[in-house]
Amino acid sequence: MTAKLTVARLDKRFDALEALRAIDISVAPGEFISVVGPSGCGKTTFLRIVAGLEHASAGQVLIDGHPVTGPGPNRGFVFQNDNLLPWRTVLGNAMIGPEVAGRAGAAEKRRTLDLLRLVGLEGFEDYHPRQLSGGMRQRVNLARALAIDPDILLMDEPFSALDAQTREIMQTELLRIWEQGRKTVLFVTHQIDEAVFLSDRVLVFARRPGRLQESVDVTLPRPRALAMKRTPEFVRYVDHIWRLIEDDVRASVIEERA
Amino acid sequence: MTVEKQRHILVRGDEPGRPDVRAELGHHVAISGIEFAIGYALASVIGIALGLAVASSATVKRACQPWISGLYATPTIALAPLFILWFGIGIWSKVLVVIFLVLFPVTINTEAGLRTTSPRLIEMLRSFGATPRQIFLKVSLPSATPFILAGLKLGIGRGLIAVVVAELFGSRAGLGRLISQSADAFNMPELFAGVIVLAVAGIVMTAGFSWIERTLVPWTRD
Repeated sequence: MTAKLTVARLDKRFDALEALRAIDISVAPGEFISVVGPSGCGKTTFLRIVAGLEHASAGQVLIDGHPVTGPGPNRGFVFQNDNLLPWRTVLGNAMIGPEVAGRAGAAEKRRTLDLLRLVGLEGFEDYHPRQLSGGMRQRVNLARALAIDPDILLMDEPFSALDAQTREIMQTELLRIWEQGRKTVLFVTHQIDEAVFLSDRVLVFARRPGRLQESVDVTLPRPRALAMKRTPEFVRYVDHIWRLIEDDVRASVIEERA
Repeated sequence: MTVEKQRHILVRGDEPGRPDVRAELGHHVAISGIEFAIGYALASVIGIALGLAVASSATVKRACQPWISGLYATPTIALAPLFILWFGIGIWSKVLVVIFLVLFPVTINTEAGLRTTSPRLIEMLRSFGATPRQIFLKVSLPSATPFILAGLKLGIGRGLIAVVVAELFGSRAGLGRLISQSADAFNMPELFAGVIVLAVAGIVMTAGFSWIERTLVPWTRD
C-alpha cells in the first residue's frame, strides 16, 4: 500500500533553537497515529508543518506523493482551543471550510448537517458558541474539520482543555466517528493512555532537539471500549511509552520550574 | 429689552411679536439636526475608512498615526472660529467641526478593533486556505464591529457638543444659537427648551445605538 503521508528528513529551527531534527515518518491511508512526548519536543510544531501553517527548515512533507507548500483542503485541522467564531452559529462555524473553498451550496449544507448529527450536535445547529459546553465546542471543532472532507485529520491536543470524564467520552466518540470514515488521523497529545487507546501506532518524540524516539505499534483489537484501559495489555503499552519519555518529562518539568 | 417684555417672556414663555415659538424651535432643531446628521455621517464613513487603511497598511499607519493621535487629543472645537471665517456662518462650518470631533474616536476604535483580532481565529481560517480578503471579511471585520460601534457611540456625544459649541461661535440658527440668545435675554424657558432638546436627542440616540449593538453584535453581551 502506498503511503498517504510521508515525512522525509524534516528539520525545523527557530533561530538558535532546534525544534525538530531529521523526522522520518510514513503513514498508511486510514491509519490512526498519535504523537506523544514531553513539552518542548516539537510535536505541535510537527503537526503545524504537516498542516502547512509552518514551513520546514529542511526536508519534505508529502501527501499522496505531492509536497506540502501550504494549507490545503486535503487536511482538516482540529485546534486545541476550539477557535470558533463567536458571531456564527454552530452550523455557520461548521460551514466555514466549504465557504472558504467557495462551495457553500445546499448540498454542502446538507452534508454539514449530517456531520453535526454524526458528532452528536443534532438540535444545536442554531446555537452560538457561548451557549455550548467545552465538550460540545470541541465537537463543533471536529465537525468543522470534517466538513471539508479531508483525507487527513490533524488534531492538536483537542481534548486537553476538557475535564477528565468529558475527555474519556470524547475519546470514544472520536473512535466512533473515525470508524465511519476511516480517515488518516494524526493526533497530538501528552496523555499516553489517550494515545494508546485511540491509535494504531504511537510516535514517541524526545526533546532537545525534537526527534522521533520510537514508533510503537498498538495491536489492541478494535472497536475499543473504555474498559480496555484497565486490561494488562493496555497498561503494558502505557508503561512502555512512559519509560521512554520519563527522563525527558522530568527534565522539562524541572526546566519549567526554573 | 423693556421690563414689560422681560415679564412677558418669564410668564408666558415667549416674546411678544413672536407668535409661533414652536415653529421657531422646530427651525433651530432642524438646522442643528442637519448639521449633526451630515457631519456625523461623513465622519463615520471617513473614520471607518481611515481606520481600515491605518490597520491594513504600515505605511499609512506611520503617515497618519501622529496626526490622528495629535488631533484626537487637541480640543479641535477651538478651531470653530477659524472654520467660520473660512466657510462662512452657514451650516458647513458647523459640519466641519462635527467631522473633526467625531472622526477620531471612530478611526481609533476601528483600527484598535482590527488590530486586536484574535490571531488564533485568523490561523483557523488560514488552515482552510483562506485568502487575506476572506480573512478580513470573515474574521477581522466582524470581530472589529463591536469596537467600531463603540467608536460611533462615543461620536454621538462629541458630535452634539460640536454642533452647539460651533453655533455659539457664530450662526444664524440652531440650538446653540437659541441657547446663547436666550441666555443673553434671560429667557429661561427657551434656554431650557434648547438644553432639554439636546439632552433628549443624546439619550435617544445612545439608546438607539445600544439597541443596534444588541442586534448586530449579540455575542458581546454577557
